[in-house]
Amino acid sequence: MTLGRLSPDQPATRLAVGLAIALAIAAGLVVAAGADPLAALAAMGEGAFGERYAIAETLIQATPLALVALGVAPAVRAGVFTIGSEGQLVAGAAAATAAIGAIGPAPAPVLLAVGLAAGVLGGAAWALPAAVMRAYFRVNEVLSTLLLNYIAGYGLLLLLKTGLAAHAMVAVPRSDALPAAALLPKLIEGTRLHAGVVAAPLAAVLLAWWLRSPRGLVYDAFASRPGLAARLGLAEPRAVWTTMLISGAAAGLVGWMQVAGVAGTLYPSVGGGLGFSGILVAMLGGLRPLGILAMALALGALTTGADGLQIGTGVPASLSIVVQGLLLLVAALAFNGRARPALAAPAEPSR
Amino acid sequence: MTLANVASGLDPTFWRATLGGALRLGTPVIFAALGETIVERSGTLNLGLDGMMTAGAFAAVVGAGIGGWPLGLLLAAIAGLALGLGMGAAVLKGGANQIVTGIAIALVGVGLTTYAFQLWQPSGQTMPFVPLAPTIPLPGLSALPFIGDILFSQNVLTDAGFVLLAATLVALRASRIGLLLKSAGDDPVAAALRGVDVVRTRMLALAFGGAMAGLGGATITIGFLGSYSDGVTAGRGYIAIAVVIIGRWSPLGAVLGALLFAFFESLSLRLQGHAGSWPSEAYAILPYAMTLIVLVLSARAGSAPRALGAQLQSEE
Repeated sequence: MTLGRLSPDQPATRLAVGLAIALAIAAGLVVAAGADPLAALAAMGEGAFGERYAIAETLIQATPLALVALGVAPAVRAGVFTIGSEGQLVAGAAAATAAIGAIGPAPAPVLLAVGLAAGVLGGAAWALPAAVMRAYFRVNEVLSTLLLNYIAGYGLLLLLKTGLAAHAMVAVPRSDALPAAALLPKLIEGTRLHAGVVAAPLAAVLLAWWLRSPRGLVYDAFASRPGLAARLGLAEPRAVWTTMLISGAAAGLVGWMQVAGVAGTLYPSVGGGLGFSGILVAMLGGLRPLGILAMALALGALTTGADGLQIGTGVPASLSIVVQGLLLLVAALAFNGRARPALAAPAEPSR
Repeated sequence: MTLANVASGLDPTFWRATLGGALRLGTPVIFAALGETIVERSGTLNLGLDGMMTAGAFAAVVGAGIGGWPLGLLLAAIAGLALGLGMGAAVLKGGANQIVTGIAIALVGVGLTTYAFQLWQPSGQTMPFVPLAPTIPLPGLSALPFIGDILFSQNVLTDAGFVLLAATLVALRASRIGLLLKSAGDDPVAAALRGVDVVRTRMLALAFGGAMAGLGGATITIGFLGSYSDGVTAGRGYIAIAVVIIGRWSPLGAVLGALLFAFFESLSLRLQGHAGSWPSEAYAILPYAMTLIVLVLSARAGSAPRALGAQLQSEE
């Protein structure tokens, strides 16, 4: 049937044209802010890679993006559009902070292990309601996870006012500072780069191994041929809840890392859009381990670069949000015809 | 102290304020959800709704600052319409995935709005307040005891929401437009064979849905807040998508769903001030949690447009 003809050009051509248009729009926005696009680009580069500290900040930004993305990749590959990483990250961060506070003084390995375990469990626990709702009640997971994000956000504020509130008087709500033994060690002096960065490549290797394993192949087949996957022993509820719990666990791990590695305390904006951007990284990275690592680095650089841009030229840092959206749009358009089964799968309306 | 205890000890004045507030707070969701009902009946899932609302909320403040609330409404509708057409171009002409495109459009809408707001009002400056759209008490009816205040003394934008409800009801049930929409959303192949231009139908639906989302955003800023700030929609775009599902793709159901969310939002705002109540954040969770619960309860018995979310196939 002739409904909306696809243009005959190749995905590569579409990608190049799309990127050029996105870049032109971004340049136009910079001009609208009264700045020179080339100077802005230089300021962004300086902000992202200019000195040792900037590079460390870019890596600190890229690590949570990569981990969230690697965690949601199996779900999206299986056709499950979980958008709940933001809330799961918050839940993991809160659980880790609470657990570390609960066990009191202890040696560093114990505190690190408890924080990690609590973060992972907290994130997975926050993914559980949405997983059950999708698997057994056919509730659209995009909406349930989004609503759970808002609930987690207000829940965190509530905790920071009650159970986890700092004992000292503080202007902005936050928790007590974590004990030094519970913090992830710093890798480079004079920067905030913490030991958690090694988790991203490790998780990428894990995902690569899983994608090649027989189980991984069955999960992959689930999106396009659920019938075939079922005959191979993977029924829909199981595919949905395992992949959603994995993505929750990864986001929870990030939550612990942001508290124990970067801030040293739990604060209201601990999510900071990382959960949402992480999902973009997964899609832009083609749901593959190497692509995800590369895109995490690119989006991490975009974020720190945008901060440098705002400081250097006064162009609002929210430019990076527009660019992220445009990149996603370009990717959605470029890979339409020969898209991965997961990305081309029709949405599952809740019935 | 439980919620029931608090509620039972409250007087009629409390309930009058809560119910009146629910109508006011529900208006943005009513506009966006009615637009989304049309969009989904035509077969497209518009996840970019929140970005369109955000753009509309900001455009309304800019417009109202220049030429009063009518210009605010116009600019808000145009902003939402432009994003709706962008979404339509990507999904219907470019063959892009609806979910991914929706998320992208939401990001572009929120990002562009934040960018424009920061350029317009660099941080540190005070937010400009604009005059609200007027409230016109309906003669006679507004004098009725209790319900007069709640139903008939609302902002004109809230009144317009109910006019829109009537219009969409008639359009879907008793007009050729409704038939075209439903045929495009239920069986695009058969519709195309019978000569319906499915792409154009869905494109027009998205343009309408975008404009309504923009107006919905406007009803936040020039309906009751009087100013714009980042995050002003508080996720109402996603709530609107949820209430379309809760309302089973009927305009009346969507409006009832929107009012349910708004009732709990209004209740939580009212209860925050009461002595012995929980911290305000506990009440802020209420509308989102209730929406989620109703979403679960209404999930199994559905009547979604059969081709909702599916990509149009090409000959290639």
